[in-house]
Amino acid sequence: MTKREALLKKLSTYQFAAHDLQLYLDSHPDDSETIEKMNRFKEQAQQLKAQYEQSYGPLTKRATDRNNWNWIKAPWPWESEEDC
Amino acid sequence: MFVYEKKLQYPVNIKTPNLKLAKIIASQYGGADGELGASLRYLSQRFTMPLPELKGMLTDIGTEELGHLEMVGTLMYQLTKGVSAEQVEKAGFADYFVDHTTGVYPSSAAGVPFTAAYLQSKGDPVTDLHEDLAAEQKARTTYDNILRFCDDYDVKDVIRFLREREVVHYQRFGESLRLLTDKLDEKNFYAFNPSFDKACFKKKEKQ
Repeated sequence: MTKREALLKKLSTYQFAAHDLQLYLDSHPDDSETIEKMNRFKEQAQQLKAQYEQSYGPLTKRATDRNNWNWIKAPWPWESEEDC
Repeated sequence: MFVYEKKLQYPVNIKTPNLKLAKIIASQYGGADGELGASLRYLSQRFTMPLPELKGMLTDIGTEELGHLEMVGTLMYQLTKGVSAEQVEKAGFADYFVDHTTGVYPSSAAGVPFTAAYLQSKGDPVTDLHEDLAAEQKARTTYDNILRFCDDYDVKDVIRFLREREVVHYQRFGESLRLLTDKLDEKNFYAFNPSFDKACFKKKEKQ
């Protein structure tokens, strides 16, 4: 696993933890303890996302480099770094 | 609306192409109990869901299924990458190859193209949620069957993740159905459609 893949996996882990709790909250909207837990995971995910985007380019369609539309840069999610 | 995030929900890094596996995994892309049908089912049914909890649940699970569709498509792409015509013939992949080469196309393992006939949007939330519970179990069984043929750890790991999500979604749909029936007038239970006949909800109890 490359450094990029390891960071992406870490980000996905926190995003997934938040997402799974969000589904639970859809059917348990008054569970404030879970809301707090979900917010903690989400916050950690946001920090990791910022860190990832700074090193490897945008995850959503925008420019992280004012001189280059780096959104289109490889690898796309179905590709590995060896493809590029 | 939808905003694309340029990453998978769970990583897919297949090192060895395997056409036999690609052929059976195709069913979870465009087969009867696959991820395309799942996402279209939930994202279509949500419009007539009566409670905020149900609108949220169908939207969020339907969106997650689109992420799963992308993961299964990635499996298809990586399992067929860089193969030769000779390997295609030897693995019995020629009948897919002749129509799609190694393009990712929504069809079942037997080559039946995706059809909306695989899913229903009945406009009755009791009926729709029962369909959703069944759909999650059918997808879970398909993943169990795929695991019987998996000898590649990297593929197994991804299939196990997707299988586990079916179990979690089943749980959430069960809670959704319970939330709905708890709010219905029990005298009317199956005599009314809660999305169409508004009188079937319990009268608010007097304070």
